[in-house]
Amino acid sequence: MNVFNRQQFQSPMTSAKKDDAWVPSSCALCYGTCSILAHRVDGVVVKIEGNPESAVGKGRLCGKGVSGIMTQYDPNRLRYPLRRTNPKKGLYEDPGWKRISWDEALDEIATVLRKVRADDPRKLVVQRTTTVTASRVPMHTFATAFGTPNFSVSGGGQHCGNGAHLISGIMHASWSVVPDFEYCNYSIFFGASKGHSAGHASCSNMGKAADARVRGMKMVVVDPLCNFAAAKATEWVPIRVGTDAALALGMCNVMVNELGIFDGPYLQAKTNAPYLVGPDKLHVRDKTSNAPLVWDTRQNCARPYMDVPAADAALEGEFTIDGVSCRPAFHCLREHLRKFTPDWVEHASSVPAATVRRLAKEFATEARIGSTIVVDGVTLPYRPVAAIAFRGAQGHRNSVYNFFAIDLLNHLVGAADVVGSCLGFNPTSHGHPETGKVRYIPTAGPDGLMVVGSWMGYHYPYPPPEPRLPQNLGLQDLFVIGMTSPFLDSTDREELWQKFELPYRPEVMVNYGANLVMSIANKDAVAASLEKYKFIVSFDLFLNETSSFADIVLPDCGYLQSLDSRSNFPFIFSLPGGLGDWCWPIRQPALPPDGEQRNFADVLLELADRVGFRADVNAAYNAWLDLEPPYRLAGDNRYSYQDICDAELKNNFGAERGLDWFKEHGLIKWKKKPEEVYWRPFVDVRVPIYWEFLRSIGDKIAAIAEPRGVKIPSEYYDPLPDFLPCRSHCCDKSGFDFYGFYYRDVVHTNSFTMENPWLDEAARLDPFSYTIAINAGEARRRGLSDGQTVEVESETGRKVKGRLKLTEGIHPEGLGFAAMCGHWADTLPIAKGKGVFYNDLLDLDWEHASPTNLNLDLCVKVRVMPAEAVS
Amino acid sequence: MYVRWDAVVNRAADAAIASCSSAARLASSSGSIHADVQLFGALASLSAERRIRLALPSGATVADMLVTLGDRLGQPLLAHVLDHAGRKHRHCRLFVDGYPIEDVNTRLDTRAEPTQIEIILLIAPEGG
Repeated sequence: MNVFNRQQFQSPMTSAKKDDAWVPSSCALCYGTCSILAHRVDGVVVKIEGNPESAVGKGRLCGKGVSGIMTQYDPNRLRYPLRRTNPKKGLYEDPGWKRISWDEALDEIATVLRKVRADDPRKLVVQRTTTVTASRVPMHTFATAFGTPNFSVSGGGQHCGNGAHLISGIMHASWSVVPDFEYCNYSIFFGASKGHSAGHASCSNMGKAADARVRGMKMVVVDPLCNFAAAKATEWVPIRVGTDAALALGMCNVMVNELGIFDGPYLQAKTNAPYLVGPDKLHVRDKTSNAPLVWDTRQNCARPYMDVPAADAALEGEFTIDGVSCRPAFHCLREHLRKFTPDWVEHASSVPAATVRRLAKEFATEARIGSTIVVDGVTLPYRPVAAIAFRGAQGHRNSVYNFFAIDLLNHLVGAADVVGSCLGFNPTSHGHPETGKVRYIPTAGPDGLMVVGSWMGYHYPYPPPEPRLPQNLGLQDLFVIGMTSPFLDSTDREELWQKFELPYRPEVMVNYGANLVMSIANKDAVAASLEKYKFIVSFDLFLNETSSFADIVLPDCGYLQSLDSRSNFPFIFSLPGGLGDWCWPIRQPALPPDGEQRNFADVLLELADRVGFRADVNAAYNAWLDLEPPYRLAGDNRYSYQDICDAELKNNFGAERGLDWFKEHGLIKWKKKPEEVYWRPFVDVRVPIYWEFLRSIGDKIAAIAEPRGVKIPSEYYDPLPDFLPCRSHCCDKSGFDFYGFYYRDVVHTNSFTMENPWLDEAARLDPFSYTIAINAGEARRRGLSDGQTVEVESETGRKVKGRLKLTEGIHPEGLGFAAMCGHWADTLPIAKGKGVFYNDLLDLDWEHASPTNLNLDLCVKVRVMPAEAVS
Repeated sequence: MYVRWDAVVNRAADAAIASCSSAARLASSSGSIHADVQLFGALASLSAERRIRLALPSGATVADMLVTLGDRLGQPLLAHVLDHAGRKHRHCRLFVDGYPIEDVNTRLDTRAEPTQIEIILLIAPEGG
């Protein structure tokens, strides 16, 4: 059944006799949060389908989503609070779990929290998994109200977003980017699975991408592995791991310097390309307004950028102002690009020079610079090309420049948030037609550069805050370009904290569902960090490798048992970009809790009451949810999470559309307007093709860090993107001739879903899910065979074992690992011992983290040895 | 409608939309202003007082209120609210009579007496 009948909708668990209901709700098997219909018969969910009424998923549901039943009814689900009896913590220590009552659990937790809050609230670390997007607000609210700045999302960000979200935010005012699938004719995917497996708006994008391919969109996939995206592509371009910037910069060079193709009017009006740059690499500024100057070709003089018609601003030339020689930023970029010749690209990335030239020519030609198209009666710029990237290209120490370089392809031809181009996920919303909410529009910030209209947190990508001597454990208040940080768990964290004179240390952790031991880097480093905590409480569905370090484990409700007024983040995260509908779905329970399971959001509210900071929690909810009178939470009133959800929905959609209305309808939607989707021409903001601010930030960070013995490599803070090799590219150790990397498996979410029997079965049928992909020719040359068990060793001596899968579909130097498998917890009997735990190869320290955005280096130079040879 | 790169909509129109609701709520009045300021979360932890009654001159702005607050509670606390240039930190949310204020030059003249001001620091980083 794919078309539901509204008459069949019933509020959950309300039917008196025959129970047969399709409950509209939201998935939580990954952060895509697709809208679902859960079919409940006599109190049992028997099937889960996509909700065709919703724009989030568009009625489609992936293999993970339909398998949610098996996670819900897993006999190993936690049903009671547990307390450890073994005080010793370690990777293989038995915690000696003992069942306790909720009262006992909450009493003990409240006592600990009360004490640490009175001492120094910063000693609390709040941690959550990114898999459940709706956990964001309750967990942030709790941390905010408690008074700690120390919040983390485990491996999230360090692995998959510190670069991608930064550049998507600065250049597209959104969390991520996709091609405009309805109109795009030529797309290049650099290590991105969007539209082909995992990712934001995953199921929606799968449908859109498939339709685009049928329509004839050419899709080039640049990736070390020919997997989910490349297998469906028009062309697969194998590339050396971590060298995406080299290829992208080479293509930019060919476009600008060999072909002379770029969108001048776009660069003049919508970027800082005309801003003049002096020999110190900083903008030359007006003495009165401090605004960057441009060269006015009509008046033949330098004037502040906002005073010069865009068409009159020079993009190239040498000018002298007050005796200082200067050039427009575009001129600097054009000169900078010359060194990335196709031959150099071939050497760096292994992509043949001829391919570099051909791809650049195809991309530039297909952009149709200067063309327009009429959409819903509006004539708009038409640039039907898009270069996008995600986890693959950005999961490196050099992720900022990797992503920046790739996005430059779009901006050079004006293919940014116009018809057919690279789109942010809904950067502009004019709000619901009746209430005007949720409304946000990018605005012009310092130097006229774009500030996002909406963002997941308050760490806006631009303008970056001033670096300061860090007060946060993650040091993000010094490394202000970074988001999620490795320094809560890194092997050198104590050394860094001492150097930066951090006046406190973490003591207590509240964790929601994150399996830190597996999701950040090698298990020993993270375990050593967790062992130091005096007290850990963890909300979990199952006991896992990380909950073994907890003092108390609390049994959470699963997503089929939970309520959330915002199951995803509106609207830059899970709602697909492009034309269609705005859509706000909720999550609602199709099933009651089992045993003594309780929803974590309500538990956090009770803890706030017990500790005595409910007024702070109410104020934090008001702030995080933007509640306005009369829906603001007042004083220290003891609202339930249901009350808060009701308040948010009424606040946004009117008094008549509270929780009851949403439970019946599941979602609200309205049509997007062309000027929202293709907003770029309508909003007077510019984006930086020249990141002057990066240099200023780098200088300020160095001024704080270097006197304390932390060297800041200046090449990471240059205004123009470069190819900076990863640690793996610098390894010349004999025999270490493969680049290990992992990729998101289509049937698994991070390390979470391996316990699901259906997904496990699918993974066992898939020849790649639990194996190590190796180039067949390279394997045979080394005497390695298909199915052979091997030991993979990193240059720093970290080792994992696994079975080889020989394939022609991988770069000869690549070694590909699917997902994050290899569980060892006895409490996960389905997952235990399956697949390979790639993260165990990753070092976790300053040397392997980006000095700009704190991204971890996820590629590792390795050697492969037959297991029997090393046993 | 035909849209060109250099024929953008004037951003002043949007700014007007964004500010009109605040302006309507913060209508001018004469006399002095009493403001009840409440601090939440980390700010409350850093301050000896979490609810402060301030008397401000007529025409006072949010910035004036913050200066007075800083005089009373100390400049280190104020550094959590304003950056070196006197702009409100983005992750500091400030509400006047329940409505968010971003521009610290917003006047506090209001029909409500005393004016209710809530200030809370949110957590900046996010990932995923």
